[in-house]
Amino acid sequence: MEMNDNPSGEKKVQCSDESKCLELLESILDGELQDSGKEILKEKLAKCQPCFEHYHLEQAIRDVLKTKCTKHAVPTELADCIRQKIQDIK
Amino acid sequence: MSEVQRRIYSQEEKNAIFDGEFMPHIDSMYNFGYRLTFDEDDAKDLVQDTYLKAYRFINSFEQGTNAKAWLFRILKNSFINEYRKKSKQPTKVDYQEVETYYNSDDVHYQSTSDLRAESVKDMLGDEISNALNSLAVDFRTVIILCDLEGFTYEEMAKILDIPIGTVRSRLHRARNLLKEKLQGYAQNMGYNTDEEEEEA
Repeated sequence: MEMNDNPSGEKKVQCSDESKCLELLESILDGELQDSGKEILKEKLAKCQPCFEHYHLEQAIRDVLKTKCTKHAVPTELADCIRQKIQDIK
Repeated sequence: MSEVQRRIYSQEEKNAIFDGEFMPHIDSMYNFGYRLTFDEDDAKDLVQDTYLKAYRFINSFEQGTNAKAWLFRILKNSFINEYRKKSKQPTKVDYQEVETYYNSDDVHYQSTSDLRAESVKDMLGDEISNALNSLAVDFRTVIILCDLEGFTYEEMAKILDIPIGTVRSRLHRARNLLKEKLQGYAQNMGYNTDEEEEEA
């Protein structure tokens, strides 16, 4: 998690505190840190290659889950059937 | 259904809550039911049971609060209490067994995979869906709730009756398991992984 100065702009090839960084990145991706997370994230991704790669992999997985695990169409009769049963118990 | 009964709604209010706050979630509910049971009829039964229970216990729902989370909690409990007992197909691995193996919520976060973001983006819906479906039900559930349905950790904790720390660690483990599956697919399909790239 250390933020060392890096005037050359090159990224660290090894993360000094991988476990903590991963936990933090996952929380940010899950929307748990909101605004405060954005600043931390920006700095991390700019400075640390393992964090950068991990973030993009995790982001890709979340994206494909969201976009490719398509929803099964609800059988049309289900809503009617539920409403009917509710009528019966009213 | 342990919520304290907050108030008594009139018949008109009940109808308004049911139609306005409960029914709009039927798509998500059915999808959750289907991904838990892998069976259309079972999913239908589960959703129907959930809505009937929701109606019966509507006085314990506080209008304007998160109806979707409330309904998901009922569906999840129905699944555990009723469906799993009578299931012809017992779930492959029970989370309790998996949890004993890991033996702690205090998970050490680590990147377990050489999988690359590009390979994941190239995968087909079927591969993603199959990987998700292959996970044990408790791992599958947290991914569905978080990534497909967009619940927060706090909402998931309430739906699943577990502490937020457990939500966090279970999600991390679930995603690591998912990555292992996806990496298997990536290698079979000849996608690049870091390892292969180094060899090349």
